[in-house]
Amino acid sequence: MPQNEYIEESIRRHGRRLDHDERKRKKEARKVHKDAAFAQKVHGLKAKLYNKKRHNEKIQMKKTLKMHDEKNAKQKTDDAVPEGAVPAYLLDREGQQRAKVLSNMLKQKRKEKAGKWNVPLPKVRGIAEDEMFRVVKTGKSKTKSWKRMVTKPTFVGDGFTRKPPKYERFIRPMALRYKKANVTHPELKATFQLPIIGVKKNPQSPMYTQLGVLTKGTIIEVNVAELGLVTTGGKVLWGKYAQITNNPENDGCINALLLV
Amino acid sequence: MTSIYNFKRIAPVPESSDFLDIVLSKTQRKTPTVIHPGYKITRIRQFYMRKVKFTQETFDEKLRQILEEFPVLDNVHPFYADLMNVLYDKDHYKLALGQINTAKHLIDAVGKDYLRLLKFGDSLYRCKQLKRAALGRMATIMKRQKDSLSYLEQVRQHLARLPSIDPNTRTLIVCGYPNVGKSSFMNKVTRADVDVQPYAFTTKSLFVGHMDYKYLRWQVIDTPGILDHPLEERNTIEMQSITALAHLRAAVLFFVDLSEQCGYSIQDQMSLFASIKPLFANKPTLLVISKTDVCTLDDVRPEERLLVESACDGGVEMSQLSSYLDSGVIETRNLACDRLLLQRVEMKLKGNKVNSVLNKLNVAQPGRRDTVERPACIPTAVLERRTRQDAAMADADADAERPALERDLEASQGGPGVYNIDLKKRYMLASDEWRHDVIPEIMNGKNVADFIDPDIEEKLAELEREEERLAAEGLYDSPDESEDEEERRIRDVARRIRQRKQIIATESRVKDVNRATLTNKQKAAASAPEDFVNHLQQLGLDPETAASTAQRIGRKRGRSESRDPAVMLARSSSLAARAVSTQRDRSTMGLKNARQKSVSDKKKLVSQRQMNLMARAGESDRKIGMKMPKHLVTGKRSIGTNDRR
Repeated sequence: MPQNEYIEESIRRHGRRLDHDERKRKKEARKVHKDAAFAQKVHGLKAKLYNKKRHNEKIQMKKTLKMHDEKNAKQKTDDAVPEGAVPAYLLDREGQQRAKVLSNMLKQKRKEKAGKWNVPLPKVRGIAEDEMFRVVKTGKSKTKSWKRMVTKPTFVGDGFTRKPPKYERFIRPMALRYKKANVTHPELKATFQLPIIGVKKNPQSPMYTQLGVLTKGTIIEVNVAELGLVTTGGKVLWGKYAQITNNPENDGCINALLLV
Repeated sequence: MTSIYNFKRIAPVPESSDFLDIVLSKTQRKTPTVIHPGYKITRIRQFYMRKVKFTQETFDEKLRQILEEFPVLDNVHPFYADLMNVLYDKDHYKLALGQINTAKHLIDAVGKDYLRLLKFGDSLYRCKQLKRAALGRMATIMKRQKDSLSYLEQVRQHLARLPSIDPNTRTLIVCGYPNVGKSSFMNKVTRADVDVQPYAFTTKSLFVGHMDYKYLRWQVIDTPGILDHPLEERNTIEMQSITALAHLRAAVLFFVDLSEQCGYSIQDQMSLFASIKPLFANKPTLLVISKTDVCTLDDVRPEERLLVESACDGGVEMSQLSSYLDSGVIETRNLACDRLLLQRVEMKLKGNKVNSVLNKLNVAQPGRRDTVERPACIPTAVLERRTRQDAAMADADADAERPALERDLEASQGGPGVYNIDLKKRYMLASDEWRHDVIPEIMNGKNVADFIDPDIEEKLAELEREEERLAAEGLYDSPDESEDEEERRIRDVARRIRQRKQIIATESRVKDVNRATLTNKQKAAASAPEDFVNHLQQLGLDPETAASTAQRIGRKRGRSESRDPAVMLARSSSLAARAVSTQRDRSTMGLKNARQKSVSDKKKLVSQRQMNLMARAGESDRKIGMKMPKHLVTGKRSIGTNDRR
């Protein structure tokens, strides 16, 4: 009965076939041609997958080639200051580096100056009412159409109590209610899933803010207690604003950027 | 029983990237792929929901298959559970399976969430985005299982190569220090063909071999060598031996190498025996002294001999063998097997199960009826043979007295290839003389020999001679060919008639109903008076009368006779101007000669074959008949209501 390392054992005892290495070498040499032929022949979904794979492989190969080239090529070291007397046409060579740093600093400063309240997404696409709401027909003969259903994700606070259905104009479906958002801290470059406290402002309309509709560009307040942020004064921060950066109705989740 | 612990049937576990490809391409293949924004929104939603649900179910099914196929450590025999713990680390194994299980649940949850969201999708774009997000999240979850999956695949490959050991059957376990001759013994008693090398730890895992003893199937387990140190310090290789010793109820053969060729002293080996003795409890144990060709128990120093012999108390038996000389191997095996068999029978008798069998058994012994002795009746011939055999046993020269065998006959009468065995000599017939008689061949109830004329050759020769004589006398010479004039004429006419008939038959065969036929007028125009004359002549009429008849019944005489013959010729040859408007035969138009026509006719027939098969009226007939005639398929189908169909 074949057991344990029986294949290796057999190779050890009887050896491989005499042309094993030759066959292997040939197979490898033919592989490129075979792959190319296959790439030409394949179609449909398989072609898509295969071409993606090949594409990635090629990128990887080019990267490695480039890395080898870099290794081989001579590189100028920025730090190396030529010693002794330097001709005039080489004088400003290492000044380059410093200038670059300066400009970066300038940029940073300008950015900071440019106002504290600018947000990552300053502009949003307008959303029409008929996209936002679906008309719900009511009445015994379904003739009345004053009721609306919100078709976008919403945030509904804990303390919300429904009005009696007869007077409830806006319905926010349970399936589209969200309580948590994936918030990225821009400086930490880390993402946390944080509970939403409330909707600060929906740029579309104050009514949407009131309804708690979560669309792209909406400013929400999130609970950052678990991040352990502290104010300059030493107080623990727990509520902070964040702006929604994705289309929650398309993605099924809420991604937001913390406003710091 | 063995099939329970066969781990070879676990399906391969794909890598996480392959896993994704498999599942996603299955979704692509098995769900509809065409959708348009113009469709009803419910249909669009249903399309994408189906995709999400299908993907989730496929993931679920694949992951569940993994979870079900891999053995649960708590459910397998403790031997296998322990072995797997030693080889794969129980915690790691459980963790990997647990992670797969978690991934399954997460994927189910994602699928459920996105199905709920899809119900509110109000456009194709949004539905598609949601589907994309759902599939993406499932893929992310699967990607995180990369390590678990690759670990499980390795475990699967190793599991499949484990020897299939049945923990409950009759088993001999061979154990001892490394390089003491365990695998050599194994190779002697079974066909396992374990590798034997002159260095320690040649055997790195358990090997199983099978043998027959007393018409029973036994398994022999060869274990890697064990060193004498505490359990905690033992490595994976040694732990496999320990596992086998601890969990299998088997006969243990502890091998000792007295020659110390293995590199370990007798003291070391005996102290190992003492330290792992707790594992031998309730198992028949044999202390096997191997390599007796090099060193036996008599050759060692007295104190060491004492050490070895002191180990053989409390049910441990000693046995000596040399795999090199092949001495003592079978005896050792038999001893171990007998001891184990005895113990197993005892164990069975102690248990409850035996009662159910014993209750059915009854050995009846008749009581003594009278004082008459009734010994067994042995025929005298048998008794004689027995005495002869006994004598042969005692005396080797009595070999000559034994009955001559067929082989002896062969040797005495020319050896193989020359001697022809007499198959008839033991025929049992009424008279022994008949044995070699020729058996008559019977055919149709008659003896073939009765119909054989012994003089047939001579008779044939006689006949041939007579024939030759007659031929020489000229009896067979044919008379002269004298054919008179009358006969020749008749023959000629007959020949012509035959020819004519043949031509007519061919013509009628060629003639086709569907073929375009010439109208009478055309025929008349086509045929010249000479043809007619010829025809009449062929029918046997006088040429002159034929010509006059042709003139008489031929074309009506008209103005044409007064016309200029040149004009006539031009008219008759040109098709453009015709006095009579005839319908032109389109089937012959554009065709040069009859051969082309026949070719085109054939092609036409072929092209129409399919149409005719489908009962089409013509090329343009595209009618699709009613596929499910309502009156045939509607209505109740219970008994008695649809017999009219």
